[in-house]
Amino acid sequence: MELRRYIIRRLIQIAIIFYVILTVLFLLFRLAPGDPVSRMVDPTMTPEDAQRLISQLGLDQPIWVQYLYYVKNFFTGNFGHSFHYGKPVVEIIWDRLPNTVLLFTTSIILSALVGVFLGKIASWHKGKATDAVLTIGALVTHTVFLPWLALIMIWLFGYKMGWFPITGMISEEVWLDPESGIFAKALDVAHHMVLPLSTLFLIHFGAYLLIMRSSMLETLKEDYIITARAKGLSEKVIRDKHAAPNAALPVVTSVGLSLAFSINGGALTETVFTWPGIGRELVFSVSHNDYPLAQASFLLIAIVVLLANLVVDVLYAYLDPRIRY
Amino acid sequence: MAGSVQKRAGFKGAFLEGWEIFKESLLGRIGLTLILIFALMAVASFIPPMIDPMYHPMHGVDPEISFSTGPSLRHWLGTDFMGRDILSQLLAGARVAFMVGVSAAFMSIFLGTSIGMIAGYMGKAVDTMLMRLADMIMVMPTLLVVLILSSLFGQLNIWTIVLIIALFRWPGVSRVIRSQTLSLKTRPFIEAARVAGASHFRIIFRHIMPNVLPLSFLYMTFRVTSAIIIEAALAFLGFGDPGTVSWGMMLQWVWKTGHMFKAPYWLLPPGICISLITLSFYMLGRAMDEVLDPRLRKEADAS
Repeated sequence: MELRRYIIRRLIQIAIIFYVILTVLFLLFRLAPGDPVSRMVDPTMTPEDAQRLISQLGLDQPIWVQYLYYVKNFFTGNFGHSFHYGKPVVEIIWDRLPNTVLLFTTSIILSALVGVFLGKIASWHKGKATDAVLTIGALVTHTVFLPWLALIMIWLFGYKMGWFPITGMISEEVWLDPESGIFAKALDVAHHMVLPLSTLFLIHFGAYLLIMRSSMLETLKEDYIITARAKGLSEKVIRDKHAAPNAALPVVTSVGLSLAFSINGGALTETVFTWPGIGRELVFSVSHNDYPLAQASFLLIAIVVLLANLVVDVLYAYLDPRIRY
Repeated sequence: MAGSVQKRAGFKGAFLEGWEIFKESLLGRIGLTLILIFALMAVASFIPPMIDPMYHPMHGVDPEISFSTGPSLRHWLGTDFMGRDILSQLLAGARVAFMVGVSAAFMSIFLGTSIGMIAGYMGKAVDTMLMRLADMIMVMPTLLVVLILSSLFGQLNIWTIVLIIALFRWPGVSRVIRSQTLSLKTRPFIEAARVAGASHFRIIFRHIMPNVLPLSFLYMTFRVTSAIIIEAALAFLGFGDPGTVSWGMMLQWVWKTGHMFKAPYWLLPPGICISLITLSFYMLGRAMDEVLDPRLRKEADAS
């Protein structure tokens, strides 16, 4: 019950924050130098089509009416037409969203799990060679410049070794072949995902490892660990069953706090590997002055970040029974 | 935490004591050394164009070369696709990195510290408002925000980029400073100042600020790294200031001109520099963390 109330309260907060973002974006698009009409209406459109779109978006009305249209269009999913693709923006967005979610969630979960596991090992061997190797490795991979790492991965494993495809998400010959079943297709996507996923994984796991390590060292000093030792439990049980679950809580918090950072990284990774996701679409639309698409991608990314934050908070509340909001 | 740095003999004493602890940290020593090397690079960036105009990182083109060549005696790290010297670009990049990193970090720390102190000290509505604002900015991916802004306002120059980074990177600091201020507020010396009739402004900047500054300073090292990374990523995506040669820009050139498979001498140096400068400020930050946080120090002593 408590938890449900907490979730509802957070949802309301998220709705307010999102509404503010929506409004700020509207103001920015109107305040920026240049003609707002040219920003929403494709210059290659016929005058009749352009006129229809202008009245649909309310661009011929006073600014506060435009704002009402804008909010209404957002809630009815009408984001206008992409200049580049010549399709409704909403179609493009829905098409790209699953790809981003797939890459993003897999990389976060994988790096958090591995980070927690390796952090536990590092703390257990504190001051020894294992610890030093893991800690230094984490520091280095965590601070390496992501786009550069992506280029190196492409150069090394895609070009030199030729093990993995370096662009896109699917191979046409597999997907157009009527013979290939769902398994072959999934395998093909997985094959394309190896390099972008490893890039994101390498960048992220280090931070989680370092947090887990110091959190473990703190936890091992707690009274209940001494009690467990006094009971004569084995070190392995103390480490895995008593200390680790509690020590992992700060990792969950940091996943939440670093979400914005991860989104930046996701957009860069998608761009370098031409992974057809929202982040790449945002970068692409910004470079090609495709304003309707840029606006919608940005709003969608904001929603993803806010909801992911909520998921992390709820997960935290669920994992730590001491915390009841 | 910060307040517990013992005041031995004023500021100088505290500084010397901190330095004693800092010196013990291997991470801190490596980090500081690397930063000094990068600073030397930044200073040295003024030399090549003086030797010969063809070494100018932006406009200098070797009259005999019009494509990318490997390392040679004339160009120690080779040349880029137009025949510009990669080494002098690399040195100029160090200058840009320091400029961006330090100024953005300074501004965001200034904002974060002031806002954090004001929120913590004033409490009530002011606190709620400022912290909600911080929450909102905190969830925004800075890089993508700058991208959107540069699509709307056209090519941004380097100082505008610095300003935007600073405006979006203060919330983390302000939260820490706020909680520090909350605990300071209950201390007797603040009470005494208030009874003596000091204004809010004076209490905040005269009595609270000296106690939170060490913590702000620690956060500054982390902000330096994030500013450098954001600028580099922006330049890499093609939205950097076209008038500056940054490491991110160099990577963009090698990537966009299709040289990444054939010119490792060009692909490796800028990436290594961005990564190393990030690493060195990060190590510096962790070492300073140990100086400022006695809890960590004890842990190190115990082992």
